[in-house]
Amino acid sequence: MQPMPNFPPPDESMKSREPGDDDGGLSAGTEQSDLELVRRAQRNERGAFDLLVLKYQHKVVKLVARLLRDPTEAEDVAQEAFVKAYRALGSFRGDSAFYTWLYRIAVNTARNTIASRQRRPLDYEAELSESEQNNVAARLKHDDTPEASALSEEIRVTVNEAIEQLPEDLRTAIVLREVEGLSYEEIAEAMDCPVGTVRSRIFRAREAIDRALQPLLD
Amino acid sequence: MTDQIREQLSALLDGELPKDEMGLLVRRLEKDATLRRTFGTYALIGETLRAPGGRIARTDFAARVGAAIDAAEGIAPAAQAAVAGSDIRPQAGQGAPASGATRGRRVAFWQRPMVRTALAASAAVVAVVLFRPGTTPVVAELEPQPASAVALVNSSPAPAQSQRLASYMVAHSQYSTPLVRRNVLTSLLAADPGITRVSYEMGDAP
Amino acid sequence: MLLAACLVAFSAQAADDGAQEARAWLERMSAALASRNYDGLFTHATGRQVETMRIVHRVSDGKTYERLVSLDGSGREIVRTRDEVHAYLPDRRVVLVEPRGDEGSLLKALPTPGPKLDKYYDLSVSKGSRLLGREVVVIDVRPLDIYRYGYRLWLDHETAMPLQTVVADGAGNPIEHIRFTQLQVKDKIPTRDIEPTVDASGFQWIRTGRKLAAMPELPAKGGWRPLRVPPGFRLVASRLQSIPGSPMPAQHLIFSDGIAAISIFIEPSAPSGPRPPESSTMGSANAYITSVKGHVITAIGEVPAATVREIANSVAPVQEVPRPTVVEPGGAAR
Repeated sequence: MQPMPNFPPPDESMKSREPGDDDGGLSAGTEQSDLELVRRAQRNERGAFDLLVLKYQHKVVKLVARLLRDPTEAEDVAQEAFVKAYRALGSFRGDSAFYTWLYRIAVNTARNTIASRQRRPLDYEAELSESEQNNVAARLKHDDTPEASALSEEIRVTVNEAIEQLPEDLRTAIVLREVEGLSYEEIAEAMDCPVGTVRSRIFRAREAIDRALQPLLD
Repeated sequence: MTDQIREQLSALLDGELPKDEMGLLVRRLEKDATLRRTFGTYALIGETLRAPGGRIARTDFAARVGAAIDAAEGIAPAAQAAVAGSDIRPQAGQGAPASGATRGRRVAFWQRPMVRTALAASAAVVAVVLFRPGTTPVVAELEPQPASAVALVNSSPAPAQSQRLASYMVAHSQYSTPLVRRNVLTSLLAADPGITRVSYEMGDAP
Repeated sequence: MLLAACLVAFSAQAADDGAQEARAWLERMSAALASRNYDGLFTHATGRQVETMRIVHRVSDGKTYERLVSLDGSGREIVRTRDEVHAYLPDRRVVLVEPRGDEGSLLKALPTPGPKLDKYYDLSVSKGSRLLGREVVVIDVRPLDIYRYGYRLWLDHETAMPLQTVVADGAGNPIEHIRFTQLQVKDKIPTRDIEPTVDASGFQWIRTGRKLAAMPELPAKGGWRPLRVPPGFRLVASRLQSIPGSPMPAQHLIFSDGIAAISIFIEPSAPSGPRPPESSTMGSANAYITSVKGHVITAIGEVPAATVREIANSVAPVQEVPRPTVVEPGGAAR
């Protein structure tokens, strides 16, 4: 008997969207590390869950802000998603990456929020596929508060300037890590230096940018 | 020394910290707000480099999540009855098994707002027209339901009762017709049987 | 005049043909769901809640294995093994276990949609726009009275698999929406895909259920049954359901009209006495629990709340065995 064909996913909004699509942050090492943090959180090490929140807070807030009509609610909804994730930690098995799982929780929390507001449950797909498909347009469409936009812009400018100021080896190391998503091993090979050096360079790059950001974030 | 710890944080963010170093670091983080803040900033740097613009979480976001989790583990937020729809008129002292208001009682977090009432309140969907225009459904006489006789109360179900209902659902699902079986099982997965409960006043029983 | 009569007759015939074609599609769909191997992701939406779930279905050695799991953090899972159904509820730290009925005889016992269906549902078929890149037919199952729900199904033209289903009330208001976002109809399903992934250590295992009674029969003396049954529903199965912690089993009666099914459970009340009647909704299924003469009656079905309430309220102990009266459509049911 012929194997049956697979049904292709219909459109971008419903495809199981890989969160890595718009970032290079995920790598095999990150997955393992996240999994270890999840295990610890499952054993009630709250600090481990805190770390996961700190790591993914901006991603989730950004994602949710894209999906909601009103981006000022993004933090509340993102918070709800993290709490849901915490409550459901017991059932996370590690079949997928933690962020993939968290991503889906965040998307559905946002959807439920929209659905409950609008009271037209079956319209949510029309809303979301539009904004999910068209990030740029969505960002432009959603007027964020002037403060939020200004801060976000300032942060971008500050980070870029700080990066420009870095010595080349530090700059290369952090760009390869954060933008290209390479592992320390891969960066070590690319830069022809030991892994320990890579780790140290990335750390020092972050420290420098952190110093530049501190006045903005206090 | 602190540098060493912060370097560990940096490695952890990249997933490059050996597992056996994690335990100590996690414990340090539980105690040190500055370290937590640093980790958050490192994450922000990466985000900004990869996808600049758009919203970011405020500095106290993680702390607020922590507080929300603490709250969820303890006393439930004020009555879910406040959500969705005007049908609910909470009444005190019902004589229902677990009397009316959930306010202030320790209840399980998984109580969800009443799906029924939300549906009753929701407008018909314009996008999906289910039946052919031009045909009207036969309207048979409904069981009269005098509004005054029915007071809807959110009762928090005794766990044994909800479990009974859940196992009845499972038993029932085995005998559903193929057309609806999928729906029944997914409802069991999604909803929490017995949570979306309304108690009718005794006067409504025939 | 004659022409008008001919046209009316023609369109009536066309409607009949449409209903027949729709029925044929539903039968094909049932067969596909039962016999194919598939693995898919779908969203399930009701009112305010949307969840993503995965279903894996395998037929091997003449037996059906299935696993249904919520992907959105509730972690709930339902697994049908060779002999049992396990419902894992991690949020309650409970596993509900039911023995499986013998599906072979079960499918025969249930009324397949037959000609009598036309009295209660209006079936029709039309062409749909593509879903998941596939050509689909749209089957409408419209209820002709208030006792039932309606359905719109988008069936894949080639395999008859339901890619999307909407359950609606008599006025067309959607209640539940299930939609596949990914579906693979496969030759082989690996065993690990139908095994549970919940770590159930420390969970409480609650076993219920007993074997199906040999013949679907109303019990004679000492039994219970509903005195009023919505039109078109007939008894299709009767069995005992054991209740954990209680020596007495519950009686379990199953009624069906070919599309929907209603279960009635009758058990002795707890010593604490009767409880006030309660209603529950779980997606497109409604439940009603009430007390009659020292017994608790639970009615569950994929029908409107009023229907389960009515049928539950009409349950009474049997002294002799008259046939249950059927409510006339359009009439008040008192």
